[in-house]
Amino acid sequence: MLKFKLLLLCLLVLLVSATTLAAQDAPSEIFVYTDSDTNISDWWTNVVIPAFEAEYPQYDVVLTIVRGVGGGNADIAARALAAMSTGDDPQVDYFETIGVDSVAEWIENDLFVEITADNVPNIANISDQTNRLPQEIPYRGSQVLLAYNSEFVAEEDVPTTYAELIAWIQANPGQFVYNRPDRGGSGAAMVTRAIFEVTGQDPSLFVPGEFEQDLVDQFPEAWDLLASIHDSIYEGGAYPAGNTPVLELFANGSVNMITAWSDQALQALNNELLPEGTRLTQLQDLPFTGGYAYSAIPSNAANLEGALALANFVLREDIQASVTSEIGGFPAINWDLLSAELQEQFTSVITDTVPTWPGGEYGSAMVEGWYNNVATNIDRSS
Amino acid sequence: MTTLPTSTSGSLWRQRRGLILAYLLVAPPLLLMVLLIFVPAIQSIARTLTTDTTGEAGLSFSRYIAFFQDPISVSNLVFTFQVVFVTLLVIFIVCFPLAIYLRFAQGRIAGAVQILVLFPLFVPGIILCYALIRFLGTRGTLETVLSIFGFMDYSTPYLKPSAIIIGLVWESIPFTVLVLTAGLRQISDSLIESARDVGANDLTIFRRIILPLITRPVLIAFSLNFLGIFGAYTVPYLLGPAAPQMMGVFMQQTFGQYRRPDEAETQAVITFLICSVVGLLYVRTVASQRIQQEDAE
Repeated sequence: MLKFKLLLLCLLVLLVSATTLAAQDAPSEIFVYTDSDTNISDWWTNVVIPAFEAEYPQYDVVLTIVRGVGGGNADIAARALAAMSTGDDPQVDYFETIGVDSVAEWIENDLFVEITADNVPNIANISDQTNRLPQEIPYRGSQVLLAYNSEFVAEEDVPTTYAELIAWIQANPGQFVYNRPDRGGSGAAMVTRAIFEVTGQDPSLFVPGEFEQDLVDQFPEAWDLLASIHDSIYEGGAYPAGNTPVLELFANGSVNMITAWSDQALQALNNELLPEGTRLTQLQDLPFTGGYAYSAIPSNAANLEGALALANFVLREDIQASVTSEIGGFPAINWDLLSAELQEQFTSVITDTVPTWPGGEYGSAMVEGWYNNVATNIDRSS
Repeated sequence: MTTLPTSTSGSLWRQRRGLILAYLLVAPPLLLMVLLIFVPAIQSIARTLTTDTTGEAGLSFSRYIAFFQDPISVSNLVFTFQVVFVTLLVIFIVCFPLAIYLRFAQGRIAGAVQILVLFPLFVPGIILCYALIRFLGTRGTLETVLSIFGFMDYSTPYLKPSAIIIGLVWESIPFTVLVLTAGLRQISDSLIESARDVGANDLTIFRRIILPLITRPVLIAFSLNFLGIFGAYTVPYLLGPAAPQMMGVFMQQTFGQYRRPDEAETQAVITFLICSVVGLLYVRTVASQRIQQEDAE
């Protein structure tokens, strides 16, 4: 009986100390929200958060995954804005990815903290290609690449320009495939790159939210270019319906060259799903499109200090190296800050430019034009 | 009626109460159908007729004329019909022998076949598609097996119309076999035995007895499969070619990717009208069965 009472007492003491500890810890919790894919949330749970908490024991990161829940992070940002007007705690300190200008009110009300070298010193190392808004913290990227099987494609034949790629496809019928442009970014990059090719290799002409009919009028040249390789595509012009089916055709040796997302290709390589001879390369004249993920911190965050420390932490060289090694992404800081070994490994895919495709009305014109002129032999005008 | 009427007024009241209850029970689904299907469908049809391609109001067939003048739209519609009819043909070629076998065979093997036939019912379409990609694709299971037997000229159906047909046939087998077997079970053994007694062979029995008696289940299987295949989306989208497209994929594309809701609406109305003709065939088949049954009773 005495033993039982002693045990009870011990438990009570433990409970009290735990609650007091928790009470002390409460202000140092950092609430992070993410709606990114499983590979990203897993990477945060298994790599980023343990490393951060080991470095900063005073903080306790609470990751909430809102992937597929309503509008995801956008809903949480809307909640933060509402909390701002009432002066309440928004219960969010850090958005793993968010489009800070996707809602006009967010910018108007200064919902997000402007990031400078004063509050996040490592922001100074950010690559210029990330093209960030003052509130944005770019911290991982991915880009479409060419993947080829070096067992079947000789080193000297590997295309370095888009024109060479077209010539290679024509010279090697059935060996190349890309997916339908509306069913995955890797195929879309093949199509948008053709559009950039015929509009003077200048992606800056395409401004998001604008629509230049002059540019769209030049699209038919891109269709001619892509139609010229139609018969040389896998199975005489068969376009799979997604990034993954394309990777599968490459993995089982049906084709020897594809366009692929860097993160998907690198992850598949790490998991030994792709052939041993797989190499990744990037066009040297103008790379394929890509993009970055941007984090942001709400200005009314209860734990602003902790959130800024976290932002600085994810931009540190070791975490940026982990972006490449763990999730197959691209670092947001300049490549030359990473280890020579890592740079060496990715030398063929490192580029100075990461072109972006504006989507919107250009996107619809691109997809419709491709379906009506490249995928089919039917002439609409006849 | 199992309850005996105690008095005439009481039975009248009970009858009326039963009627009200019946209507009350039927009302929610009926209301749901009217509000969610009939009203939007009629609105859509009206919209396609009252605004022309430029968006101007007034009675006009211009949206339909535009659809039928566009070679790509027409080729997609024709392609959909071709896929539907070839698929239906293959479904019946595959399912008829299966249904007849399951009707007359007994024992363990028949049980196993029955389970196999129903199996596709439990496989989601998207899983089926990825399985078929691996099975039929280049360097897939089928090609590997064929090459063992020395057959080297395998050309994959993946991303070609034939892959859509294979996928849709596979998906439709359980339902078709169920309907056909149910129809065949209505033919009594004694009928067939007596025909055999008077000297009819198997072929005659099939032609003169079985076939006439199962026209109705065949019509039901035909019309319901037609409706399902005509509007199919997952299989044609994942297994079929980028062009031509079946109407389901084409509509989604026009609406979501090309951002042309008006054209998508016209395509939807055309699809809806074609399907409603087949739907009518189904309703008539089922209704005539009811009437015959009531007459028989």
